Amino acid sequence: MPIFDQGYQRWTGQLSGHTWRWLAITRHGVAAQWKGWMVKGVFFASLFPVFVLWAFLALWGLLEQKSSLLTPFMGLLRGLPPEVLEGPKGYRDVYWTLAFNSFFSTELYFTMLLVLLVGPNLISQDLRFNAIPLYLSRPLRRIDYFLGKLGVIAFYVGLVSILPAVLAYIMGVSFSMDATVIRDTWHILVASLIYGCVVVLSAGTLVLAFSSLSKNARTVMAAWLGVWIVSSLMSSVLVNTVRRDWCPVVSYHADLLRISEALTDAPTARRKLAELLTSATQQMPRPGGLFGGILQKGRRNQPPRPNIPPRALVIQPRPGEDIYGNSSYPWQWSAGVLTGLFVLSVWTLSSRVKSLDRLK
Amino acid sequence: MLFDLRDLTKTYGRITALRDLTIAMPEGAIGLLGPNGAGKTTMIRSLLGLIRFDQGEGQVLGMDIKRNRLDVRQAVGFVPEDECLFPSVLGVEFVSYAGQLSGMPIKSAMQRAHEVLDYVGLGEARYRKVESYSTGMKQRIKIAAAIVHDPRLLILDEPTNGMDPAGREDILELARDLARKRGMSLLFSSHLLTDVESVCDQVMVLGRGRLLLKGKLEDLMIAHTREFETQVKGTGEAFFGRLRERGVNVGMVEDGYRLKLPEGASLSLVWETAQETGEQVRMLKPRRSTLEEVFLNALNEGAA
Repeated sequence: MPIFDQGYQRWTGQLSGHTWRWLAITRHGVAAQWKGWMVKGVFFASLFPVFVLWAFLALWGLLEQKSSLLTPFMGLLRGLPPEVLEGPKGYRDVYWTLAFNSFFSTELYFTMLLVLLVGPNLISQDLRFNAIPLYLSRPLRRIDYFLGKLGVIAFYVGLVSILPAVLAYIMGVSFSMDATVIRDTWHILVASLIYGCVVVLSAGTLVLAFSSLSKNARTVMAAWLGVWIVSSLMSSVLVNTVRRDWCPVVSYHADLLRISEALTDAPTARRKLAELLTSATQQMPRPGGLFGGILQKGRRNQPPRPNIPPRALVIQPRPGEDIYGNSSYPWQWSAGVLTGLFVLSVWTLSSRVKSLDRLK
Repeated sequence: MLFDLRDLTKTYGRITALRDLTIAMPEGAIGLLGPNGAGKTTMIRSLLGLIRFDQGEGQVLGMDIKRNRLDVRQAVGFVPEDECLFPSVLGVEFVSYAGQLSGMPIKSAMQRAHEVLDYVGLGEARYRKVESYSTGMKQRIKIAAAIVHDPRLLILDEPTNGMDPAGREDILELARDLARKRGMSLLFSSHLLTDVESVCDQVMVLGRGRLLLKGKLEDLMIAHTREFETQVKGTGEAFFGRLRERGVNVGMVEDGYRLKLPEGASLSLVWETAQETGEQVRMLKPRRSTLEEVFLNALNEGAA
């Protein structure tokens, strides 16, 4: 078609303000990444733990109401101590906390995978195609650029972690049909939101920093795998050889889990559950079922011993863990590692994605 | 006023990119000339509010370039010199995305993207990935992305670099159309003086971070009072021979001859000689300076 056939039309529409301009970058990034079949695959796989959590909270709500709808599921409840079956409301905090904590620990694998798939391209491609001047010569600041890119990570992390947790909480409250559930469990909702923000900020800035270091997305993927998998392997090796409390801190994955534990106060819930189960073993042949066995991994073949924390009978505590399987090192250590990585990531981003205020 | 810069100084370490630059230019198509390292890119970035100055102030389209950086960039379109693309997008997505980044609503941006792609002649390539575009197409899509939000000022940094003659002429025609028929102001930075001459009505020349010259092309490319260009019917052997005898400097140019009269002589000397030699003069007009001469003079004066 010859040039100018259509002619140039003036545009008289209204341009928006600058405050939410970064959302355009996020929107574009989310749509671009969603085109990948692997991203879709991981997202749909990540829904399985979501449905499990939702099912758990729904069943718990029915249990609290002593609903007849629960009859087909009684098999799942056979391992619950009688105290719980008689007055589940008194233990909802413990069970909810552990359910959400288990959800977060499972979902963290999917989150890491999604970050691996979504994050590496975000800045490295812009560097490869020299797109930064195109962004910065528009009404955008560098911080808008970073926020827009971080928003892409936040969207996907939110989609598999924060949003399902919030929906699960709402569903749990709805099924309980009891206003006191909010009083007992509001801290779980707050913890879920804060934990989601921690994951977004930490994993988001880290993968963006890696992405800004190379024009090759595969290199960035390798770096991310290094932080995720290799740091976990190193941590395992150190735990088994050096056997010091600080060894788990080497694992990035473990650091995020430690924060999740601290925020939801999972250690307290585990201790309470262990005490509850310990006293229950005097009346029950063995803990079982979905609810009773929530923290009894590997214990089914062991004879019950009263008045001793169950886990202590089976497994010697590993370095960095107590007899209940809780991390024994302070959560501040993990927070320190994550903060350090965050600062390093921000510094890397700032120095790699430069403003145009420089000599050509 | 299109832009108004006052005492602008910008240094990078020991290098002074702009030195007390003071310039005000009215709306229109402005050519920005200068050798490498003259400060052209720094000046363009200054106009876009991308630079923090050591001293000085300025306004673009009436907006302060320190306080209203984002507003300035919203009203200006910029076509960078380097090859730069939003990756992994179709042509129409590229332009629509550029519109959204400038503050356009999503639907309007997409509708407008189609319009400007038609305008720049990329209508048939709108659903191709931009990475597969040729150099000329990439240049055109950058222009489309720069005008999608209908800016009042369009800055083109070396827009014809690396293009074949046909593609180059397309870009120049596009720039001329925007400036002359659509009323968009242009700042056209180029090393190719003929490109500037064919698009712009004003020029400014920078050298070592200073303004060396500015003005309307028609004023700068002055008509010489003692130099003329002429064409004759025949070979003109006798005519030009007689002129030489009378102290006229005669030189051949592409499509005729150039005459330089001696001090104190007038044009009647040429007519009288033509009459004496029986030569038929088909064209005789005062020679105007070329932009190249204007540019080189400005640089020489600047160096002095």
